[in-house]
Amino acid sequence: MQTGTKISLLGHGALVTWALFGGAFQSEPLPFTVQDVSVISAEEFAQLSAQVAAPEVAPEPAVLRDPAETPVETPELAPEDAPRPQRPEPAPVAPAPEPEPEVVQPEPEPEPEVPDVAPTPPDLPEPLSETPQLAEPEVGRENDRVAPEPIAPPEPDSQIADVTQEEVTPDAGAEANQPVQDASQQEAASDRIVTEAESESDNPTVLQSTPRPRLRPRNLAAQPDPDPQPEPQPEPQPEPEDTRAADVSSAISDALANLGEVEAPVPSGPPLTEGERNGLRRQIAGCWNLGTVSTEVMRTVVVVGVSLQENGMPESSSIRMLSFDGGSQASANTAFAAARRAILRCSRSGGRVGYDLPTEKYQQWKEVEITFNPAKMRLR
Amino acid sequence: MTLAWVRQGFVKQAAVVGLAMASLVAATAPGAVVAQTGPLRIEITDGVIEPLPFAVPDFIPADAAASQFAAQISRVIAEDLAGTGLFREVPKGAYISNLTDFSAPVNYTDWKAINAQALITGEVAVEGNLVKVKFRGFDVFAGKQIDGAGLQLVGGTDGWRRIAHKVADVIYSKITGEGGYFDSRVVYVSESGPKNDRKKRLAIMDYDGANVQYLTNSNAIVLAPRFSPTGDRVLYTSYESGFPQIHVLDVGQVQQRVLSAGDGIMSFAPRFAPDGRTVVYSQSEGGNTDLYTLDIDSGARKRLTSAPSIETAPSFSPDGRQIVFESDRSGKPQLYVMPASGGPATRISKGSGRYGTPVWSPRGDFVAFTKQNAGRFHIGVMRTDGSEERLLTASFLDEGPTWSPNGRVIMFTRETQGPTGRALLYSVDVSGRNLKPVRTPEGGSDPAWSPLQN
Repeated sequence: MQTGTKISLLGHGALVTWALFGGAFQSEPLPFTVQDVSVISAEEFAQLSAQVAAPEVAPEPAVLRDPAETPVETPELAPEDAPRPQRPEPAPVAPAPEPEPEVVQPEPEPEPEVPDVAPTPPDLPEPLSETPQLAEPEVGRENDRVAPEPIAPPEPDSQIADVTQEEVTPDAGAEANQPVQDASQQEAASDRIVTEAESESDNPTVLQSTPRPRLRPRNLAAQPDPDPQPEPQPEPQPEPEDTRAADVSSAISDALANLGEVEAPVPSGPPLTEGERNGLRRQIAGCWNLGTVSTEVMRTVVVVGVSLQENGMPESSSIRMLSFDGGSQASANTAFAAARRAILRCSRSGGRVGYDLPTEKYQQWKEVEITFNPAKMRLR
Repeated sequence: MTLAWVRQGFVKQAAVVGLAMASLVAATAPGAVVAQTGPLRIEITDGVIEPLPFAVPDFIPADAAASQFAAQISRVIAEDLAGTGLFREVPKGAYISNLTDFSAPVNYTDWKAINAQALITGEVAVEGNLVKVKFRGFDVFAGKQIDGAGLQLVGGTDGWRRIAHKVADVIYSKITGEGGYFDSRVVYVSESGPKNDRKKRLAIMDYDGANVQYLTNSNAIVLAPRFSPTGDRVLYTSYESGFPQIHVLDVGQVQQRVLSAGDGIMSFAPRFAPDGRTVVYSQSEGGNTDLYTLDIDSGARKRLTSAPSIETAPSFSPDGRQIVFESDRSGKPQLYVMPASGGPATRISKGSGRYGTPVWSPRGDFVAFTKQNAGRFHIGVMRTDGSEERLLTASFLDEGPTWSPNGRVIMFTRETQGPTGRALLYSVDVSGRNLKPVRTPEGGSDPAWSPLQN
């Protein structure tokens, strides 16, 4: 091969090599910017470029509208007006704890020899009572009102109402009318009557010392049973079968007689849940005031029937005393009057009209029989 | 034979059981589910105890002369009811309705809106020296007049307060179911002067402290006045002769006489029996004090106790069959109950401390007493068998309880501590609520409540 050919081949080879791999050794590409544009029609461009004419002024001003009718959006506060959040102060860095001195472990004492027989525990005084004692005495507050659940005294500026509601005041600087409502709270109540003598500070129920745990008895066999079970009573002698047959036959006849009675009204739909029953119970109990009745009335149980409308309102003419027990007719009348007041008063409470009951189960609570039993209230 | 009887019995028993099972199946059939039928039944056991709100608009005067009485009578009614602690007056400023006509129908909605649960309206007319008061009480939420709470009362113009008290008594009894006590009086020992030179005299007043009248002068020490069951006489102990003697005083004529137990014999702590003719009292002879009864008409005396201990402060049960009294026969004063004719006594006070001055409730269910324990004095009540003891008050010195005519309220003496201490009358509800002083022009002690006036 001629020298010229060799030089040509080497030169062309180098050129091809540079053409193929020379770009890889280049640096960053030149910067360039990209801008989004939108395409509009000629008519749109003409509208944009046309001179804006001044609006025509009406000869008479328009009628002003009540701002209450036209809701005005409250302008948002400029960021400059907003209080700047305080930067939290850096928490003080706790000083590094000093290195604890080295604790020199004492030499372990030699363990005493453990005898085979357990030592007899020393005689310690028996605890005063095995029953747990209250750490804090149940001291009620003196109050005119006794309710099932104690209610704390209301705030000084609060009004007494059936329901508790927060106070709402208009925001400072707001232009729109805002509803205003006064704060109200339920009247303070205690859960029982507290006499002057009982409100004394020296209450004997205060725990004076920690009860010590009871020691294991030394001899379980010799320990008398602290709570002896009553001896099983001898089984009653079986009655003669003739009597039992008579009882069963009378029970059957009673059951058959009752079958005829229960066929009449059968409410449809699912029954009320226990929670729904308790809800109705609580609604009425809040108005069942026994503060003015005599001690005899407090011993009288009355059963009151009432028909409720679909909105939960009682029909006042339907409220009737079905039965009473434990007192005279006069005391039953007084107890019934208190029960009737409770049913009627609490049918409206705190904006609620009618008792809060599930409408879809109306057939279940259309007719209600309420037993007013003041037994628990006598103890307060 | 025995085996045959047993077999026969087994067959019968099997038949009975089978029949019972069949009836049980029938009773639990889907169409006869008792729990799904009838009205919704609930039981309410938790109520509230709070004063009942009521409204008493000023009574409407039928004529010009009645104007002053109309407002005053309605005020006394309101104070009577509110003073029990069982009622709370709705302020007049909250009224929506203005009553101008006694016969006009009541707008219940307006009174419901202010939560007035009872409403008392009335009309007053004056004819000469007579005041006529017509009134009605309404159950606002029931929307009707309270049964029996619509009456007309007539009395002298100087007795307008009694008419107001009677109106309040009617309303009170119709709402609470127990008798009222507003138309009653209290006899007590009025005390004036410093503690070391205290002047004492008998006084009588309305239950609320109004119309005070003095029955004796303060020349001699007087103690423990007690009303007769009819309220026309008062027994009391006087040191007029130098030693204690029982006197009886006619309240209407303010005349008194001595019920002498004998020359030089000290007699004290008298109290009428329910029959109004017998007086039970303590008599001290030879250093020993025992209980006696005295027939006022015949002067016959009977000794009820005979013990070396001190027996005093007797009080009859309302049926007149028993007497509760104080005795230190166990070493310190305790309460005992014995038959009215004397005999074995049963101790009823069981707590620690010293018990005294027992008084049987007019209803017969409780005994009120004074108790001294741990340096404090208490007024308390207990059942007549000593159970359910409850202390109602606690102070430096409380003593001498007396029952209101309906057995609902107790009035007693409270003495404050120190050289300037005073004796004042207080009252408290039997539940322990509504403890408050009774207003008297001077100090007062030893109150005794009268029965309701006729």
